[in-house]
Order: sequence, then structure tokens, then C-alpha cells
Amino acid sequence: MIDRSPEFRVKKGLGVTMMLLLLLFAAIPTLWALLLSVRAPDSIFEPIWESPLALTLDNFFKITRSDFPSALMNSFITAGSSTLLAMLVGVPAGFALAKSRVSGKFVASWILLLLRMAPPVGFVIPLFLAYVNAGLIDTYTGLIFAYMTLTLPLIVWSMWNSFAQVPDELIEAAIMDGASLAKAFLLVALPAARPGAVAAAILGFLVAWNDFFYALIITRSGTTTAPVAVMNFISYDSVDWASIAVASIALTLPILPLMAIANRYIVQSLSGAVKG
Amino acid sequence: MSSNSKQRAGATYELERGYRRMIVPAIIAVAIFAIVPLAGMLALSFSDYHLIRGSNGEFGLRNFIKLVNDKRLVNSIYVMSVLSLFGVAAQVIIGTAVAVGLHKIVGRWRLGRVLFLVPYAVPHVAVALIWLSLFTPTLSPINAFFDLFGITVPSFLTSQNGAMFAIIVADTWTNFPFTMLIILAALQGISPDLDEAAALDGASRVKTFIFITLPLLLPALLMVTLFRFIDSLKHFPMIFVMTKGGPGRSTQATNFYAYVQTFQNSNVAYGAAIAVLLFLMAALISFYVAKLNQRISS
Repeated sequence: MIDRSPEFRVKKGLGVTMMLLLLLFAAIPTLWALLLSVRAPDSIFEPIWESPLALTLDNFFKITRSDFPSALMNSFITAGSSTLLAMLVGVPAGFALAKSRVSGKFVASWILLLLRMAPPVGFVIPLFLAYVNAGLIDTYTGLIFAYMTLTLPLIVWSMWNSFAQVPDELIEAAIMDGASLAKAFLLVALPAARPGAVAAAILGFLVAWNDFFYALIITRSGTTTAPVAVMNFISYDSVDWASIAVASIALTLPILPLMAIANRYIVQSLSGAVKG
Repeated sequence: MSSNSKQRAGATYELERGYRRMIVPAIIAVAIFAIVPLAGMLALSFSDYHLIRGSNGEFGLRNFIKLVNDKRLVNSIYVMSVLSLFGVAAQVIIGTAVAVGLHKIVGRWRLGRVLFLVPYAVPHVAVALIWLSLFTPTLSPINAFFDLFGITVPSFLTSQNGAMFAIIVADTWTNFPFTMLIILAALQGISPDLDEAAALDGASRVKTFIFITLPLLLPALLMVTLFRFIDSLKHFPMIFVMTKGGPGRSTQATNFYAYVQTFQNSNVAYGAAIAVLLFLMAALISFYVAKLNQRISS
């Protein structure tokens, strides 16, 4: 049934216009950041149509001479380690929660959600005081531990979800054949839930990579992460917009491929129902 | 009971013990990394701890009594509510619109989905800084563009409502793709037969959407709204970077206010009390989400 009435064409035209406007809204800030990153610092306050050729790649070289690259490294180290740790602890727990008959699963799901939703300011106040006493301020260990509060609930929750989608019969059959629970987990369930595990690791990495609040409070210049280090380009009397743009791009680039892999699982692991 | 089923019961028992052993490390980790800090927060909220002066060892409800009479707290709750309601509404509406649009042209335009996802990949600090630059009149290409036509775009960040608007725009920009992803997945789960049947019965497209599609999307919409709402209670980087809570205290949302009391005014105990209040709100909402989740899965 193909509708070719003028009324339908108007509606379709409206729909297409709306989509284009929304695409503009989505794209302009990104394009603007890309443009800022290649603008010559002298002409940065001029509209692009007044000096369209005042472009340079110097901003990218300039930032390599700042503290920003080492902050990026700190981000990789802390986000990566806390994800790894949380996976080691969280993946078996997600498996057991999905497949066992232990009681209290509803409470477990509530606590996991609550930890995901709890305001970080609540965690950070006692952590900060404890870290001052324990000498963990501005250390990798301190930041990695703090990130566990972000990564662990997320990873357990999404692995619970992924393992729930692995048929029970698969594991039962393996155990009937004489496999131990550990073997059934490692050789049967985990391979079956591998896409989910990849997504859980990516999501964990993303929340830690994105963090600004914890790093702001419990790191100093030694282990500062990239999101906090960007703020150094804002000084009391001036703002280095070109470097900010380059840094924003550097912060986003590692995320894009991860997002491309994980986007379909984001849906499942965040909104998908966990069987209680 | 036959010996066979006894054996099986024993095996099940063994199995359940094995499962429990797999959960224990996670319970310990959650206890150390989450429960202990939260208990600390609760203890601090009853204390009189000050970052510089320390504590006199007094415990009591003083901070909570102060909360009730704190005009700045009332203001912060108002700011948080405005940011949450308008921000979440915009994200849900725009995200759903884009999802419906993409769904109609899905397959033909894979790249569209990716393009709309990019804002979601940008870390919040970068989002805040990019929008700060777009809201800085001397720098913004938007201002320069309207100047060509002799129109002066007002400076948003210097007025109360403008600053609120700016934060909502930045928040919406980075978070609408989340709504889009989830609604798109829900749309793809709806059988196309339903639309066709409605069309055959003579229903218009708008009617089909409102009476057929929308009710089927309700669970997903509810879930997305709740998730976004809870995240919006945690507003921090945008406020910190774009407005610092200003002008005045006009964008000082509760989470940010707790930060100000704790780390700028050194009033740790009072900051912890505000955090407890926020935590209770999160506990209520997450309980509701967990219930909802239980109902969806059964």
C-alpha cells in the first residue's frame, strides 16, 4: 500500500526536516570542537568565514608538550585496572546470581541498582577522609579502589543479565557429564556469554574513564586523570580553547570504537530485566 | 525418598555451595568498596566533623535539624528538580523522536545511528567544555552567525534561567542517544504486523503511533525515564565546568551543594547529611526500579 497523496508528502517532508534539524543539533558541537582544534590561536575569536585559512596542526603538537598525555596515561591505567579487578570478582558473581537458587536475589538486585544510582558525593566524603589517614590520596591504588564503586555494581549487573540468557540446560548437561561447577563456568557458560562479558568490560571502562568527581577530589598532580587535567587549560585570566578542543578529542577518540562494539549491549545490560 | 533422588539432592546442595563461593568475593568487595564508605557517610552525618577544626566528638541530629531550615538546600532541591524534569523530558522526547525517525529508515542508513551516537561517547567534562565555548558570546559561532543578521544572542551563562537552560542543553545533547538506543531496540521488538493491521483498519499513522506503538513502548520509556532521572540527581561536571553553581546560587543543584559544603566550606558533617538525603532518594527510586525489573522479567 503506497501512499502518494499530497498530505502524506507534506508529513514526510516534515519528518525529514525534523530529522535533519536533530542531526544538526547532534553534529554541530562535535564539528565545532574539531574546528577549534585546528584554528590558529591568533584567529580563534574570529568567525571562520572571516579567516577560513587560519588553520594549523600546531595545537596537537603543543599539547604533547603539556602534562595532558601523562594524565591520559593515568586514566588508562586506573580505568583499566579497576575494570580488570571488577571483572575478576564480578563475572563469577554474575554467573552464580543468574544460575543458583540462593535466596535474596531481589535484595541483591536492589543493592546493585542502588550502588549504581547512589550519589558519588556520598562515597567520596568518607573515602577522602580515610585516604588522607591511609596515605592513599594521589595514588593509583586509591583511585582504582574508588573506581571499584562504579565498575563493580555495573559489571555484576550486566553479567547477571548475560548469564541469564545462557540456557540452564547447557550448564546442567555439563555438570551431568561430570564437569565441576568451575569447569562448567569457565568452559561452557563463559564462552556462551562472551559478547556480554566484552560489553560489561567496556561499560565498566567507560564509567571509570568518564569519571571527573572522584579524580577531582582524591588525586593531585601525580595521578590526575585526563578529565581533571583538561581543566588546567583554564587559568585565572585566560582559557586555552584550542588545547581544550584537542584534549576533548583525545578524551573521546578511545571511546568511539568501544561504543561501536558495545552499543547494542548497552541496551541489554542497562535496561534488560534480571531474573529475580 | 529413593537413594537416587537423595544423591541428586546431595549434588544440588554441593552445587549451591559452589555458587555461593562464587558470590562471596563480590560480596566482600561490595562491602569494602561501597558499604563501608556509606556507613562512614552515615556516621559523619550525625557528627560535627569539620575538615579544619576536626571534631568535638558530639553526635546528634543537629545536621538534620539544620537541613530542614536551610534555605540554600531548598534552593538546591528546586534547581535539581528543574534540571532533572526539563533535562529528562527533553532527552526522552528527542531520543524517542530520533529513534522513531531512524526506525523508519533503518537498514538504509546505518551511518545515521552512529552519527547520533557520537555525543554519547564524549566524556562529560568535554561535553561541558564544548558547550561552555558555544555559550561564550565572544567565541561562539552561533553568536557570530546571528550577528551577520544583526541579531544579538543574549549571554546565557550570566542570567539565572539562561544558565539553567545552558546546562539542560549540554545534558540533553550528551544523553539523548541513550534514550534513542533503548527506544530503538524496543521499536525493533514490536511486530510490524501490528502497524499493518491498524493501517488496514483505516487508522492514520499518527493514530497508529499513539494507540498501538506508544503503549507498547511504555515499559521501555518508563525504564529510560527512571534511569535518566536518577543520573540527573548526580549532576556535577556540567555545573562545575559551566557555571560553578552561579550566577549567584542559581544553578547550585543538591549534589553540587553537598560538594560545596564539604570541600569548600570544610563542613564535612553537614555535607554528609546532604549526601544522606540524596542517598535516601536514590534508595527509594532504585527500589521501585528493582520492583519494576522483577515484574518485567516474570
